[in-house]
Amino acid sequence: MLTIEGVSAGYGRLEILHKVSLEVAPGEIVGIIGPNGAGKSTLLKTIFGYLPPFEGMIRFAGDTLAGLSPDCVMRRGIGYVAQAGGVFADMSVHENLVLGGYSLGSSRAVTTAIERVYAQFPLFRSRAGQRAGSLSGGEQRALAVARTLVVEPRLIILDEPSAALAPRFIDEIYATLVNLNRSGIALLIVEQNVRRILDAAHRVVVLDMGRNAFAGASAELRQSDRIRRLYLGEDAG
Amino acid sequence: MGEEILEFLILGLVLGGIYALFAVGLTLIFGVLDIINVAHGEFFAIGGYAIYIAMVVFKLPPAAGLVMATVAAFLVGLAVYPLLLAPLKKRLGRRAPGPLFLVLTLGLSALMQNSMLAAAGGEYLKVPPAIKGGLDLSFTYISNQRLLIVAVASLSLAALFLFLRFHRQGMAIRAVAQNPAAAQSVGIPLGRIFTLTVGLGCALAGLAGGLIAPLFSVYPAVGFTLTIKAFAITILGGMGNLVGALVASLIIATVEAMSVLVIPSEWQNAIAFGTMILVLLVRPSGLFGKKQP
Amino acid sequence: MSRPVRTLAIIALAFAGLAAPLVWSHPFVLHIAVQALIWALFAASWDLLSGYTGQVSFGHAGFFSIGAYTAAISTKLLGFSSWLGMTAALLLCGLVGLCVGFPALRLRGHYLALVTLGFGEIVQLVAQNWGALTGGPFGMHDYGTFTGLPSDPLAQRQAAYLIVAAISLVGLAILLYVTRRTTAGPAFRAIREDQVLAASLGIDTTFFKLLAFTLSAGFAGLAGALYAYYIQLVSPTIGSSAQSALVIGMAVFGGIGTIWGPFLGAILLFSITESLRFIGVVYNLIVVGAVMIVFVIFIPRGLAGIRLRRRGRQQRADRQAVDAAS
Repeated sequence: MLTIEGVSAGYGRLEILHKVSLEVAPGEIVGIIGPNGAGKSTLLKTIFGYLPPFEGMIRFAGDTLAGLSPDCVMRRGIGYVAQAGGVFADMSVHENLVLGGYSLGSSRAVTTAIERVYAQFPLFRSRAGQRAGSLSGGEQRALAVARTLVVEPRLIILDEPSAALAPRFIDEIYATLVNLNRSGIALLIVEQNVRRILDAAHRVVVLDMGRNAFAGASAELRQSDRIRRLYLGEDAG
Repeated sequence: MGEEILEFLILGLVLGGIYALFAVGLTLIFGVLDIINVAHGEFFAIGGYAIYIAMVVFKLPPAAGLVMATVAAFLVGLAVYPLLLAPLKKRLGRRAPGPLFLVLTLGLSALMQNSMLAAAGGEYLKVPPAIKGGLDLSFTYISNQRLLIVAVASLSLAALFLFLRFHRQGMAIRAVAQNPAAAQSVGIPLGRIFTLTVGLGCALAGLAGGLIAPLFSVYPAVGFTLTIKAFAITILGGMGNLVGALVASLIIATVEAMSVLVIPSEWQNAIAFGTMILVLLVRPSGLFGKKQP
Repeated sequence: MSRPVRTLAIIALAFAGLAAPLVWSHPFVLHIAVQALIWALFAASWDLLSGYTGQVSFGHAGFFSIGAYTAAISTKLLGFSSWLGMTAALLLCGLVGLCVGFPALRLRGHYLALVTLGFGEIVQLVAQNWGALTGGPFGMHDYGTFTGLPSDPLAQRQAAYLIVAAISLVGLAILLYVTRRTTAGPAFRAIREDQVLAASLGIDTTFFKLLAFTLSAGFAGLAGALYAYYIQLVSPTIGSSAQSALVIGMAVFGGIGTIWGPFLGAILLFSITESLRFIGVVYNLIVVGAVMIVFVIFIPRGLAGIRLRRRGRQQRADRQAVDAAS
């Protein structure tokens, strides 16, 4: 469904990604792991259109995404949850969701869509008038996810959903994500918390220094000595 | 003495209405684009010329004149982002906007003001009041024109605030001002919102120009002093804060009106400039502002 | 072309350019040339602060005006010779620049520009309303001209030209020396590129910012004094925002951040627009506005950038150094 081939990207003259390739099949959860500075966030930003790629191909369900701006990319059916500051902090929970439905145009469609989201996230119905910035970290993250759901995306891209969250909230967020996946939404997740993503994802891609290092089914990577040594800090054997 | 003060308060309210329309428009542009529109006064002048053309040349009714003033400024304002600001933004890339944009809008100001001078000449054009007559209170007489200014300014600002609060595009404007990346992620097209915002801000300036034309006369540089005062107002109110701009407008207008009692009128303008410098030295974020310089 | 040869060629060209109005000696040409050189010094002084050190000033005409009035008042009330008057203008404006620089230390970008704008407006207000000192809205016109000029009108103009040219060039030379041959130059550039980084590298940003303000204001004041003695009339409008805008336009035309670019740009733009006055008084200002817009967007390095790529290399090198260090 999402195909990335030979993508290089970066900031100004600084190239961070070198010919990276990756695929996400419909309904899959794919994780991206790797050391700091490997370019994981940059890859997500490039896919979603915040950065133009220097070269390479980015396709989603037949459409070319490369060169599109984020507001166009999202209309193809992709949602984006940023690492931090993803909600409109000075607006209420309800307003955040209304804005989530911006691309739907008519307010009736938006109202229906928001109703659906409130049903999925009853917590927000009771907090609808609360200022989004006053929610806890985990709640804000969940709100950002909920907001993408207003327009029923087929793929959601998440940049370190566990970042700066207490373990309890990480549990909640991942439970939500796995649930969403069960309803058919594909997920592409960049994660620092390798254990979490190995548990949740079907496949994992490893990026190192802006290049593909390896990829494989998460069960397979869990067994791999090298991964365990490099990223889980366990000694092999 | 109390009556005198009341009279000045009323004058402050009238001026404050005009200042508010102007400053809120300027603040809207700054809050969303992070750019100070040095040419804002020229859109005020466009409003004045538009109502002159409507009422004096085409003999249209005042309401039509005001609409024309607002629409003319809006249309010209719509052109500013795509033609001027976007190309510079594109060239600068990721570097934050700053002094170069100021120079750009400064150039626009010079271009517009002198083009109006070339096209219309420098004479002070007279525009008849929209409504004649006035209200006779025991201590003073308030012309209906002044009442109209307060009414229209209040209604327009109220409409603007409602638009920003509840309308889909108004919310989009607020979203872009708060968090452009998140705004894009929900499908808001930044360029179009920027264009709309500049147009809207300039429309407010044009409306202000049309409203006060009967009292100020119309000439190319008519918006100039107001522009500089508006800078002072937005700094006092907190740059980027609409409510702050509104409140600061009323404060400055009232203080200016009352100041006639204590200082000679030629120094009246110094109040705004002095306030601005004082605020910048003591509390740069202004009364309501959050953005730090 | 090797460097010494190129330097000689530039000096020769400059000499020829400066000698031309004298040789031609048409009074109107001299008139434009003198004013062009005054604006050139003014523009170069603006560039030191705003283009080179990145502290953009929107009220620079305020310093120009203070310099002009200082010259006029000191000659009229204190009997100073023009040399003394010019020195007084230079020093007083330097001091004012230092004072303006202090509060400006904490401000960046738009806020700094606005506060300098406010400063310019206040200077104009004072000039306009403190009639006892400044002659009010009509200004002052009876303080005389440069000391020791011959009485023949043409010779007077020629002598005035020589004086203004010499002082402008010396001013330019000093500004160039400070920015190219002392440690102040790289410090100014560092502050312009990334103030925080500069401070963390051990550069005393406070000192250098204040230095930039002082020098810039002083030379703007000197230009103002030259203006006062040549035109023999000072009025509040010389400190107006329109004048501040004009000098910015000239600097943009010549190439911000190079010092000599604005100097040259001012000479060219002023000469062109003054000559265009024959077409219509107003169109020259439209040209300036258009120039500012077009140049800022499309020709950011101004004239200076078109010719010598060396300048661009300097700025690119600065920027890369910043990218590498951060």
